[in-house]
Amino acid sequence: MAQSRTTLLFFLTILLIFSSPTTAEENLFGSGKILATPGVIQVEGTAGGGLTPWAVISGYGTNRQIGGSVHHTYVTTNDFTLNATGATVGLYDRLELSFTRQWFDTGSAGERLGLGEGFKFNQDILGAKVKIFGDAVYDQDTWMPQVALGAQYKKADKGAIVRAVGAEDDDDIDVYLAATKILLDKSLVLTGTARLTRANQFGLLGFGGPNGSSRSLQFEGSVAYLLSRHFVLGADYRTKPDNLAFAEEDDAMAAYMVWLPSKHLTVTAAYTDLGKIALQGRQRGFYLSVQLGF
Amino acid sequence: MKFLKTTLIAGLLALTTAVHADSLFDDLGGKDAIARMMTRLVELTSADPRTAHQFEQTKKDRLARLLTDQVCELSGGPCKYRGVNMKKSHIKLGITEAEFNALVEQLQQAMDEEGVPFHTQNRLLALLAPMKRDIVER
Repeated sequence: MAQSRTTLLFFLTILLIFSSPTTAEENLFGSGKILATPGVIQVEGTAGGGLTPWAVISGYGTNRQIGGSVHHTYVTTNDFTLNATGATVGLYDRLELSFTRQWFDTGSAGERLGLGEGFKFNQDILGAKVKIFGDAVYDQDTWMPQVALGAQYKKADKGAIVRAVGAEDDDDIDVYLAATKILLDKSLVLTGTARLTRANQFGLLGFGGPNGSSRSLQFEGSVAYLLSRHFVLGADYRTKPDNLAFAEEDDAMAAYMVWLPSKHLTVTAAYTDLGKIALQGRQRGFYLSVQLGF
Repeated sequence: MKFLKTTLIAGLLALTTAVHADSLFDDLGGKDAIARMMTRLVELTSADPRTAHQFEQTKKDRLARLLTDQVCELSGGPCKYRGVNMKKSHIKLGITEAEFNALVEQLQQAMDEEGVPFHTQNRLLALLAPMKRDIVER
């Protein structure tokens, strides 16, 4: 019920935005940003790298335009599969709204955990991000990065189960501050993100637990190198809380290659190491994300 | 004495050449290449519906010459830009970020056509990017 309400709210907001009056001489959906500058959609559905949110606003809309994207992301590790589908809207290169649904399939590990073969932990993530100051693209003569403040409301769907494994809640809000700097003369994009969170495994296993019931400060970093106009090589690292007692949680990393044939299609392929998940050992594997947008 | 002077001059020349050799100006292909790219840029800008309306009153040859001097000087070449500053030359044109970015894309195309490597292109764009503050008005 809460899920369908947030979904409805999200689409109503989009509807409201798209029906607002527009300037005559300029195309509101004209994709005026430069290729690759909005980053890609990261695993929680906001503009960033593979795992880390960046301070950029999703979509190719400039300060007078609206941009947006839809994506599907598939991650397969030794024991688990994660699918994520979502959409973003970038308003006037200032505000980003996003919605993503994740399906975490435990496969045969589900049986070993006593949940049943192919048991799925799912969650909805509703995100908002606002650019506060700085400009990652144009401020090439200063060290000032672009800084954005973001929040992600996450709601895990298996409330009873996540509580049974020790989580305190099945929903919560992550708050993060992201700073992104493009060093264009070096063709580098650097991001540092600080996040207040009590999410267990991104929120898929609920929030808080016996080893930590309040939000803790976690750090995420991202380095991307612009190989050519259409290819970007990057790596992300992300620390995570370790709140649950039944299983240890590790940091996560990803190394990725992004292909941007145009402003309307972005493909990200990654190698990822998510660390130990739910007693099944270290989870390494591949990540593929396809994104359509404007 | 004369020998010393010659050595000194030769030494200085060698030094300037060495400094010059890794300058962006040379990596862009020197003044002739820059002039070709700026002529091409003005052509592309005047033909592109995203930017053409901003250049209807512009004398294309003069603009290409001014841009050549500007890029030449900015990249460390032996030129002097004598046009008015970026703020004055774009005042009341109401240039948008989308128009500015369209010109960046046209410049990238002109540099591609001249065979300038991508990372060299980015070094030039890094010098031009801050001009957005004076050029874009809305």
